[in-house]
Amino acid sequence: MRPGAWVLVGVVACVVIGALAICVGSTGWRSPWQWTGMIAELRAPRVVLAGLVGSALAMAGVAMQAVLRNDLADPYVLGISGGASAGAVASLALWPGLAPGPAAAAGATGAVLLVRGLARGPYDPARLLLAGVAVGSVLASATGVILVLAPSSQLLRSTTSWLFGGIGTPHWSALVAPAIAVVVGVAWLTAQATRIDRLTLGADVAEALGVAVVRLRRGLLIAAVALTALAVAASGLIGFVGLIAPHAARRLVGQPHRHLIALSALAGAALVMGADAVARIAFAPRELPVGLVTASLGGPVFLWQLQRGPR
Amino acid sequence: MTPILEAAGVAVGRGGVVLTGVDLAVRPGERIALVGANGSGKTSLLRVFAGLDRPLAGCLRWAGRALPSGNERVRTVGVLFQGEPASRFTVRELVTLGLALDGPPSAAARRQVDDALALAGLAPLAERSCATLSGGEAQRALLARALVAAPRLVLLDEPINHLDPAGRAMVEQLLDRLRGTVAAVIATHELALAASCDRVALLHDRRVFALGTPDAVLTPARLAAALGVEVRRLEDPDGGPPLFRVIAPCPGAREVAA
Repeated sequence: MRPGAWVLVGVVACVVIGALAICVGSTGWRSPWQWTGMIAELRAPRVVLAGLVGSALAMAGVAMQAVLRNDLADPYVLGISGGASAGAVASLALWPGLAPGPAAAAGATGAVLLVRGLARGPYDPARLLLAGVAVGSVLASATGVILVLAPSSQLLRSTTSWLFGGIGTPHWSALVAPAIAVVVGVAWLTAQATRIDRLTLGADVAEALGVAVVRLRRGLLIAAVALTALAVAASGLIGFVGLIAPHAARRLVGQPHRHLIALSALAGAALVMGADAVARIAFAPRELPVGLVTASLGGPVFLWQLQRGPR
Repeated sequence: MTPILEAAGVAVGRGGVVLTGVDLAVRPGERIALVGANGSGKTSLLRVFAGLDRPLAGCLRWAGRALPSGNERVRTVGVLFQGEPASRFTVRELVTLGLALDGPPSAAARRQVDDALALAGLAPLAERSCATLSGGEAQRALLARALVAAPRLVLLDEPINHLDPAGRAMVEQLLDRLRGTVAAVIATHELALAASCDRVALLHDRRVFALGTPDAVLTPARLAAALGVEVRRLEDPDGGPPLFRVIAPCPGAREVAA
């Protein structure tokens, strides 16, 4: 099948999964045509946010993998997950009434800036990754210290649900910023597609093939961090999406980024919308953190893909 | 005629100076070999010629001007360097990247890619993943990528190193087809390949130790001085370029020359 056709399939799959996710819930099946309070105010915005968060994480994964030239990179490397959780937990401990999202985004961005500063000098992906691991673990232990020193069961519970991700029940107005970010992300990354292709061949080759390597790498890093910070602010840490969605898309359309970015975004959206629906209904009325579902669904799918061998 | 590449007083090196005072003008269609021991600066010089590193001193012009940026650059200089790992692009995708397009290829661009694939004898392998190619096929794919934008100059770093005899013969055949139309600077340890070039630059003692026709430069005395080996030159009875047989290392030769 042609790559463009796969993108169409992705769009259709997203619409179908999104519609199904709106129909199902802890209170049973509702037709999406009954655009009443619960569908219009609770389920629909939640499903849309899940899709946007999935797209953002998947695109951040593609960008991070290109910058670090490592297919195992995900949006949370470079200390982002450590920074985000430290920010969120500090916010939950100090201002329990406030949503921890903005503090998490700030923590993530701060951690990346710190990592880039520590690994300055000639660009070296291995050094960046190592600095990321180090900064990430320092921040993770700081998170642990806050949790131990502020022993409130309330804090522990809200922290746990945040650390494994949760879409919550957003108001429509909360979707504007993520929607803009996802649209801009798809458009900008797709416009850079052939430059990203050349970058994956190595910095020297890309430079010889007319790419302004330093500028492109900076742009990709900023895009990856911005998309991740936004996703983290909206829904906590949702693992595995940024890794598995680009891999699945690569299986279908190969290495060129021209269709890979859109298809990854669609795969990420479908995955998180589906996972969130499962999280709502599996143990209803109790809700699972969506990150646990993406990991427990994503892990086996990922292993199955590995077993099938390379494209 | 404006040289395709002109270096005046160029010094290159990373960390320390490896080569100084390089004066070289590559004429259109001319083929120049860079010969020298490991560490003599062949690759460093090619990187500067490719615009990847700045020279420590001196001045460089490509067809009389500075190296252009963006996709104009691949129409000026094509490069084939060592050690590029195999990608998961198909051969056609890889060669298309050599055009440095910012969007999908036009019909004309696709024809250029087909021509480059045919020139490199890769048309039957066009849809194969690069990760599945043999060493010789992979090298021809990289050469096709270097040539697809029809640059007037290609820079080749050890183009036939590590290839089996068949792969070597195919790459050499491809290089022969370019003779006279595309200028080439080829860094190589293969003296027979160097002897097939129009001129040879022998690098030694941090400078261009000798520059001239293969007959003038690839002499046993100069090779002993620059490479530290005793070499016997054998004429090809069929009139091809001469062959070189390395007899033995001659320690001390470098010190004498220095």
